[in-house]
This record gives sequence, structure tokens and C-alpha cells, in this order.
Amino acid sequence: MASLSEEVLLVVKKVRQRKQDGTLYLMAERIAWGPEGKDRFTVSHLYSDIRCQKISPDGKAKIQLQLVLHTGDSTTFHFANESTALKDRDAAKELLQQLLPKFKKKANKELEEKNRMLQEDPVLFQLYKDLVVSQVISAEEFWANRLGGVNNGEPAPYNNKQEVGISGAFLADIRPQTDGCNGLRYNLTADIIESIFRTYPAVKQKYSENVPHNLTEKEFWTRFFQSHYFHRDRINTGSQDIFSECAKQDEKGLKSLVTQGVKNPLVDLLSLEDKTLDEGYGISKALPSTSNANKSVKESSNSAIIKRFNHHSAMVLAAGSRKGDPPTDQASETSSTDGNSRDSDFFQPPLKKVKLQEAIEYEDLQRENTPKTVALNLKKSDRYAHGPVPLQSQQYTTSQDIINSVSYIQQEMTNYKPNLTRVLSSTTATSAIAALSPGGVLMQPVGQQSINQMVPTDIQGELKHLYIAAGELLRHFWSCFPVNTPFLEEKVTKMKTNLERFQMTKLRPFQEKVQRQYLSTNLTGHLEDMFQKAYSKFHIWQTRRMMRKT
Amino acid sequence: MKLNIEGLLVYFPYDYIYPEQYSYMLELKRTLDAKGHGVLEMPSGTGKTISLLSLIVAYQRAFPLDVTKLIYCSRTVPEIEKVVEELRKLMEFYAKETGEANNFLALSLSSRKNLCIHPEVSSLRFGKEVDGKCHSLTASYIRAQRHSNPNLPVCRFYEEFDAVGRQVPLPAGIYNLDDLKDFGRRKGWCPYYLARYAILHANIVVYSYHYLLDPKIADLVSKELAKKSVVVFDEAHNIDNVCIDSMSVNITRRTLDRCQNNVDTLQNTIHKIKETDAAKLREEYRRLVEGLKEANVARETDIYLANPVLPDEVLQEAVPGSIRTAEHFVGFLRRFLEYLKARLRVQHVVQESAPQFLKDIFDKVCIDRKPLRFCAERLQSLLRTLEIADIADFSAVTLISNFATLVSTYSKGFTIIIEPFEDRTPTIANPVLHFSCMDPSIAIKPVFQRFQSVVITSGTLSPLDIYPRILDFRPVTMASFTMTLARTCLCPLIVGRGNDQVALSSKFETREDFAVIRNYGNLLLEMSAVVPDGIVAFFTSYVYMENIVASWYEQGILENIQKNKLIFIETQDAAETSMALEKYQEACENGRGAILLSVARGKVSEGIDFVHHFGRAVIMFGVPYVYTQSRILKARLEYLRDQFQIRENDFLTFDAMRHAAQCVGRAIRGKTDYGLMIFADKRYARSDKRGKLPRWIQEHINDGSLNLTVDEAVQLSKHFLRQMAQPFRQEDQLGLSLLTLEQLQSEEMLQKISQMAHQT
Repeated sequence: MASLSEEVLLVVKKVRQRKQDGTLYLMAERIAWGPEGKDRFTVSHLYSDIRCQKISPDGKAKIQLQLVLHTGDSTTFHFANESTALKDRDAAKELLQQLLPKFKKKANKELEEKNRMLQEDPVLFQLYKDLVVSQVISAEEFWANRLGGVNNGEPAPYNNKQEVGISGAFLADIRPQTDGCNGLRYNLTADIIESIFRTYPAVKQKYSENVPHNLTEKEFWTRFFQSHYFHRDRINTGSQDIFSECAKQDEKGLKSLVTQGVKNPLVDLLSLEDKTLDEGYGISKALPSTSNANKSVKESSNSAIIKRFNHHSAMVLAAGSRKGDPPTDQASETSSTDGNSRDSDFFQPPLKKVKLQEAIEYEDLQRENTPKTVALNLKKSDRYAHGPVPLQSQQYTTSQDIINSVSYIQQEMTNYKPNLTRVLSSTTATSAIAALSPGGVLMQPVGQQSINQMVPTDIQGELKHLYIAAGELLRHFWSCFPVNTPFLEEKVTKMKTNLERFQMTKLRPFQEKVQRQYLSTNLTGHLEDMFQKAYSKFHIWQTRRMMRKT
Repeated sequence: MKLNIEGLLVYFPYDYIYPEQYSYMLELKRTLDAKGHGVLEMPSGTGKTISLLSLIVAYQRAFPLDVTKLIYCSRTVPEIEKVVEELRKLMEFYAKETGEANNFLALSLSSRKNLCIHPEVSSLRFGKEVDGKCHSLTASYIRAQRHSNPNLPVCRFYEEFDAVGRQVPLPAGIYNLDDLKDFGRRKGWCPYYLARYAILHANIVVYSYHYLLDPKIADLVSKELAKKSVVVFDEAHNIDNVCIDSMSVNITRRTLDRCQNNVDTLQNTIHKIKETDAAKLREEYRRLVEGLKEANVARETDIYLANPVLPDEVLQEAVPGSIRTAEHFVGFLRRFLEYLKARLRVQHVVQESAPQFLKDIFDKVCIDRKPLRFCAERLQSLLRTLEIADIADFSAVTLISNFATLVSTYSKGFTIIIEPFEDRTPTIANPVLHFSCMDPSIAIKPVFQRFQSVVITSGTLSPLDIYPRILDFRPVTMASFTMTLARTCLCPLIVGRGNDQVALSSKFETREDFAVIRNYGNLLLEMSAVVPDGIVAFFTSYVYMENIVASWYEQGILENIQKNKLIFIETQDAAETSMALEKYQEACENGRGAILLSVARGKVSEGIDFVHHFGRAVIMFGVPYVYTQSRILKARLEYLRDQFQIRENDFLTFDAMRHAAQCVGRAIRGKTDYGLMIFADKRYARSDKRGKLPRWIQEHINDGSLNLTVDEAVQLSKHFLRQMAQPFRQEDQLGLSLLTLEQLQSEEMLQKISQMAHQT
């Protein structure tokens, strides 16, 4: 056995994997399987690599357990012990259920983060492929200073991804299915559980209080679905229900929401009426009965449903925006905590004013008051594209100068006498004009532009990748200077070898390829230069270090 | 732009104008010229308010002696504030164009709750509490007591106002509620009393209906407003109900118990005062003998707005001897109270007229009609004399005395219904005496009589002729304007069948039918998948909505809807509904989309607008008939039939359709807005229902969309929404539904506009 120090939590015999009998071991940090009669594991997965486990439905003849890894691979174990197969499987499943979440939290966060970054950033992904997959540098090195931001807790620029809200109907997705013998089965996925927790924080609290000390996860959810809380329309019977407290908390939350009042005065029904009729006056419109006693059971359950829908929608809405705008939340809290209406008075008018103005606005009656935009009319678009040209010291001419010069030219023209002896012959003149007109020899487009057409696109793309990868490596290299710690010293030498390796494995083949295609232009000249610069810097540093040592 | 409305120069604070605004102003001008009343219907979102204000302000400036004041009544506080803001815009435009400072005083008035700046009082949540607390600080005798005992609490804002506030008139300007508060804070004056005082000399007053229609408040606030005022009731489609509400009284056992306590307190106070200050009571007696002459003189010289609770005859007489002394009056109240208690001890429903009631009360406890009529006035006098601090505590006895006066004054237009229990719960005794007004014209009559022009306007007043009939007045102009549109931005669809051909209807017989409920659910579900952003659905009643929601829940329809949009539901609790509303708007705003389930006749349907993406579709489930089994309603219908020759069914349909129109109209708030209006009931297809919708909705219902299935409606909606999603610019409207000054002045357009006004 490889590591004897490992604690084995569960051993299940007669487990088949790929039609081979064997034994399944659940250890503290990994799950492993070895074929019968051999003392090594052919399958071994760290818990942190496992994304989830799946089990075969109860009715199936084969009793199986499948592990899905983060990489997407999966391993299936078939429990073959006829008499105890189901029990074995459940034991393994239960244990995994407890173990997996523990590892999930710490390990996956990082892994997921990396995964996400790679998925979101194609350039980074390419770089990863170029450098890590081709083993120029190791994965740790690659991530070392990329993940820094993430681990430090400060949100990386990629991190401000929009929060995904919760579907309004997530409870509807949990369709109960009859299992054939007078029972109901609910299928919960991690998403649904997440949704429930985010929408109903009270349930989450209950969960963390009770699971796994008092209840197993399964029991918890069973109770949840049985509870009055889930079926709010049913009449509450038992007070031992752990969710009755949740219901109370929700009620409280709802009440506080209601008492907090609304910010928009135009929807505040309480202050809509200016002067209500005094008690006793008016045509009584079904006077609200003073006691709830004469409300029938059905009615009160109906109103409970209505309440529940309002609450549910409000919670879903709040869950969506909870993380989005904490500052506004805070603002509303501060204004509500000092409960004094004096203060809220001062907060109120601006919003009220705005809302009133909005309400009386007739946008189509007004002349559109957006500032009139002038269409851009460019006579020389290249000047626009190149931006301002640095002012050259040139002499500006006043209008007087111009007039003077015009009259001077006029004068010259009148006195002009062609010097016929020094004139070009007509043939030379036409050829010169032809050379200077568009399409002529002297009017050929400049060579640089044609590089676009000369080099095929796949080479261009490859070159681009090379540049990015080389840039990344060089960045690592240069970031080591000034070298003042032993760690950096080590790194800089390593980076130099990395550079060399890159030159050998990536740049050279590319150069050869370019040559094979007879592309005359020296495409990689600049890259080479950059490498040479780095090497010379390294040599300078190295010779200096040698000198210092001697 | 500057407009010429039949020779009147009108400043209009926009660069463009809708043709219907121009023709609305024409009609309004004619109404004012004739010094008569008018009924004008113009769709919401076509700038009704600004047209009204522009014309009337111009009129006031041109003929300052003919029209001295504009009294603008609206329904809700936000509406009032909106009107003032529009006015501010107009006045700014005037200042800019004419270059002279604005000399108009315009202000809004609201209850103390919205105006109080006293730190303690204003922190109270309910209007009634604020009123009571304010009264306990500012009543005249409280302040008189403070002379002897300076330790009593005081409202410094009121004191300051009382000391100096009346001498200097409020400087000209536009004062919204917040501006009044700011001004009050700066000066240290009470904004509420300042506003109440300032409305007497203001050019424009904006306040709520109640200040004019509720006799209890009108008597305090609006009594002295000038006769040469123009009164505008905006959003007046429900004005008859406001009138009726203000004149109706309900008496329960609890009221009587509280009243009993009040009477006991009165008795004790009288005893105490008798021992200490008998002169006060003697003084009161003397005053009562002299009679209510003062008020009578005022009314004859046309200074006061008449109070329907205080009929003319009462003023000419002195308070009858039997209730002149305080003890006698308290004894009288006791007897009346006992009688009412006895009447509430019934086992079956009783309905009787006012004369029958008077005869019965005379037979049983020998109370005459005459002292009853003076009851309200006498109680006021007594409360003043006894220096009762907290009037709010005496609301029960005030209610009873008002009832006494009303029942003895009006022999017609009222009915008394005593119900021993609620219909739904026949086992629980909860006797109620309803004294209900059936004639809205009683409350509004003084307004029509006193003011030279009263304009009733709203987005939905169809059919126009019914309002003059039920309010009993003769208008000089009646007109309904439609919305000129460059693109058809509203799409009314009548969905009469489900996909399985089951007829959709909310009528009583099929109300519980699962097939109907399921099809309604399908309609909402399919719409939720098609319509972007917000959908508002209205049900006919709260109970109906609860039942439907419950069975949708059981059938899993709601869950499927939740996949498309979030669901919010109106509840009977206003605070909860406000929260739901705000969340609804938030969900529309952030793009998730939401559905609001609401109730016709509810608060949402009356006061909340769903502009643009807040309401891209309104679905009206069923026809919102009023609960027809109510005895009060039956009595009212009977009265309408006998007095005004309005058939029961006509009135019920009219009432249902005006509410339906209100509901669906919530979604269209302007020409750049667009929305679907789905009437989900096959009865809407009938011409008697359809014909009662406002013209601007009616004219867009074509024969093809009268009896659609759910699928067909979805197809049409898709098509409509796709068209509406195209960019819509100002240029598209110009010349058709939006005019420049030059276009407006062209001969052809003027002719078109004049035709538009004559169509009614």
C-alpha cells in the first residue's frame, strides 16, 4: 500500500469496476479502488477532484454509484454483493455525502476560479495551452501571479460578473413524483438548494443549525417538504415542526418590510386619500370584520396563499438584488433606523419631486431638448484618424501677405519667359507624368501594407500567439529584477531556461516553417531581439553576481 | 406657444399641442363664457390638466372680475400635487414669456396629516390622531386656559401664526404641500392654518373633493369661498359615490356604546361646570334663544356656501325650548339613544323611509321632529360651551346627532335599513343601522347653486348624459373627446372563449366552474409569456380573486406563470399592498417582469397609474358588477328608477363599465405609451356593454376582436406588441396627433378640430 498512514473510513468488498471485481476504499482524503488480489489501486480520486456522485435509481437491477470528476470524467462502481449491495452502496453514498462538501468548499473554489478565468478569457486560455500544456512552465508558475488577486480577496477585474438571479419558479421545478407506493419523491439539485437558501435565509440558518448534528441532509429536506412551511396553505398542526420558526421569522420580515413603508410616494396607498371619512359615515363596503374568528378556514388559507406569493416574489426579488447594491440597502437602513419621521421627511422630497416631475412629463409635447448633434463631416479623414499633428514651426501668413504674394505671382506670371533650351523632351515628360499618376511606378503602395496579404492568416495567428506567450514569459522574467532575494535569483535562472526552452520548442519550428514557405520577410526578428535583450540582461546580472562572489 | 382660443390669448407651456387639447379648451371657454356647468370627457394622458389650467388662468387674467378664483378638486394627494406642479410649469412659462413677475397665488390644501410641522404631532401616523392632537393644542378655550396656566402644552407654530400670520398675506407664488411646509418652517407659522386662511384670497386652490362635498368639512373650510369661482372636479367618474358617502351614516352597537359613554361624560361635565361656572351655561342659553340668526344673515347675503346638513328653515328659528338647557338636551340624547338601542334589537331585516322612522320615534318615545333637526347644531354649541378638549373622543355622539338632523330634515332621498346580522354569517349577531343617502345631488347641490361654473371632467365619463341626471344639474356643454393617434397604441381585445370553446364569463352561475377558472388561468399564463415587463390583472371582487388564486394554485397554473414573471397580489391591507406595488414596479424596472393581481373598485384600480413598462397589458377578468344582493344598493336602484327614470340594469351596467374602463385605462397614460386591454368576458361583446365604454376605447374595438379565443388573442397581442416595439418618434406624430402652432392655425386643421368637438 502506498500510504499506510491514511485512515481508511470504509471498505466495501465485491465492487466491480470495468467488469473487474475489486474492493472500494473510502479514506480520509480520497476514494480508491483496487482489483481483487492486487495490492495497488487502479482507481484513486481525491475528494476534492470529485464534482458529484450519482446513484442508480432504486428499481434498477444493477446497483451502481457514479463519481463525476471536475474534469468531466466519470467512474462507475457496480456493487455486486447480492445480499448487501444496496446497503453497501447506501453506506458509501452516505459517507461520500458527508465528506464531499468538506473538500468541495476549499478545493473547488480555487479550481473553479481558474476554470472560470480560462473560460472567460480566450487569450489566457491560449496562453495556458502554449505555456503549460506544452510544459514550458508549470501550472503553478503560471497561476502564481494570476491568482494573486483572487486569493487576496480583492475582486479581480474578471470578478465583477453579473450575479445571476433566481428563477421565480424554482419551487415549481421540484416536481414531486410518486414512487409507486404511497410516497412522494422530490428531486433536489444543488441549484435548487442554492435558490432556496438565497430566497429564504431562515431555512439556511435552520440547515446549518441542524445538519448534520441532528438530522441528515435527507431528513432535513424530507421534513422541509412535509412541513407546513412548504405548504403554507395547509393548516398548521404541530408546533414541533422545526420550520414553524422560519415561518414566524418570515412573518416578521414581511411585517418589517411593510412597516418600513414604501419610498415612492405615488404608490403609497396609505397616504393616497387626503381625508378619509370618519368612522360611521359612508356606505359601508363590507365592513372588515373585527375578529378573525368568523373567517372560515378556507378563507384564511386563501389569504395565506396570497401572502405567501407576495412574500415569495419579494424575497426572490431581494435575493437577486441583495449583492448588487449594498450601498442603497445601507442608506435605507440608516433612514429607517432613526425611525423619526422628521428625518425621513428630509429624505423624502427629492425622490417625491422627481417622481412628480416624471408623472407630469409629456415628452412628445416638448421640443426634443437633447443638444443638437452635428454630423461629422470630414474632409481629410486621415487627419482625423491620426489625431493632432505636433505643431511645426511654420509661418502663418496674414491675409495681407497672401494678397501680396498673389499679386507678386501674378506679376511673375506676366513676366514669365520660358527658357526653351532647358526644357525636357516631350517623351520624358509623359513618362514622368505616367510614373507619378496613380498606378504608376512611383505611386506603388508602400511595402508594409502588403504584409497583410503576403502572410497567410494561419501564420499571422500563430505569430500572434507566439508574441503573447513570449510576452508573458518575458514579463515573468523582467518582473524578477531587481533580483534581491534568493527566491528571485532562483526564479530568474529558471525563467531564463524557460525562455531558452521556448525559443527552442516554439520559436525555432515557427521560423523553419516560415522559411519553408519562402516568406522573405523576417517575421520573427523582433521576437528574437526581445529574447536577446533578456539574455544579455541575464548575462550582465550573472557576471555581476560572479564578480561579487569572487 | 401662444394660442388664440376664440379671441382669448392663452399661454400654453409646450412647443406642441394635441388637437384634442385645443378643442377641449374651446369647449371649456364656451362653458365659462356662458357661466354655466359643463361635463367634459377626455382620455387620460392627453394633457387634460394642463389644458384646463392654461385656459382658466388665461381667462382669469383676461376677465379678473368675472372669474376670481379657480377651485380645482382632485381625488388623491399625489393627484393634487401633480396639478400644482403642472401649474408651476405654466406660471414659469408665463413669467418667461411676459417677463413680469407672477402675481398669482396658488396653493394646495390638504389635511393636517400632510401639512403639520409640529415635531410631535406630525409624527403620528393616522390622520385622525393628528387632527385630535392638533385640536387639543390649538382649540380656543385651551389657549384661553393657558393664560391662567402657562404650563399647558402649546403649539408654537399656531401661536406664531395667530399672532402675526394673518396680517401679511401670503406672497404670490405657487405653493405645493412641501412648499407650504418649508414656508411654515421658515416663518415659524403653522402651514395648515396658513393655507386654510390663504385660500380665501388665493387665485387658485387645489384640494380634495371632500373639502367641497362633505358638509362636515366644507362648512369649516370652504364656506366663505367667493361665488365667482370656477370649480373643477377632475377624475370625477366616481363623484356620485363621494357625494353619497359623505351623507350616509352607519350605526352599530359599538357606536351606541361609545355614544353612551360620551353622554355620561357630558352629563358629568355639565354637573361640574354648574358648580363652578354656572354663568357660562346661562350665556349659552341666551345665545340659543337668540337663535342662529347670524348664520342666517350670512347665508342670505350670499357669503356662505350652504350646508346641506343645516337646512334653511333651521336657521330662521331658534333652538326649540325642549333642548335649550344643557341638562334637557343630555336627557333628550339619552332618550334618543335608548330608542336606537331598542331598534337595533331586531331579529329580521327592517327597511323604512325617514318619515316612517320619525313617526315610529314619536310613537315610542315621544320625540318630535323639530328638536331632532336641531340636534347637530345644539351639540356643537354644547361642546363649545363645555370646552371639551378632544373632539375626536366625541365622534360617536356627533355621529348620532348628525344622523338625527339628517333623518328629520330629508324626507326623500334617504332610506333606513336595519340588518341584524351580516348575510354571510347569519349566526353572529352584529346589528347595523344603515342610514344611506341614495341621491348624490343632495350633497352637491349647494356647489352647483353657489358657484357660477362647475366643470366635471375625467378620462372616463361615458355615457355622458347620465351624470347630469344623477347629479341633477343642467350643463351648458357636454363633450367627449377622443384621442387622436398617429399609431394605434391601444389594443382592446374581448376574449369570450377558451381554447376549448368554453364561454368565459364571471357571471354568477359559472363563477365556480372549473373550466372557466382554468381558461382564465391559461389566458394569464399565455399572456405572461408574450407580454414584456408588467401585466396588471383585475378581478371583479376580492372574494372572487381569492377563490381564483386558490384554485390556480391547486392546479399549478401559478407555478407555471412564475416561470415567466413574478406574481404580486393586492391584499385588503393597504400597507401590504403598497409594499407589493413597489416590489412590482421594481420587478418591472429591473427587467424581470411581474404580474399584479388586483381588484376593480379597489385602491389600486382607482389611484395608481401603470405607465409605460409598468403596464403593458391589462386583463379584466369578468365584468365588475357591484355586489347586487346588498339591500342598500337595491334601495338606491329603486330610487333611481322612481326619481330619475334610470332602469336598474342600465345603472348597474353603467357602473360596471365605468369601473372596467377605469381599470383598463390605467395602462395608457399618453400617446407614447402603449398597452393591451383585454376584456375577458363574453358579455363585453354585447352592444349594451360595449356602448358604455368611453369613445376613445370603443372606436378601437373592431368587429373581428369581439369574441376571441385565448389563442387568437395571443396571436393578436404578439402582432400588436411587435408593431409597438418599433421606434416611435416625434416626427411620426407631427401633423396628425401633434401640432405645431402653424399647423394648428391652418384652415384645414381648424375645421377638423371643430368637427371633432361637435361629434358628441
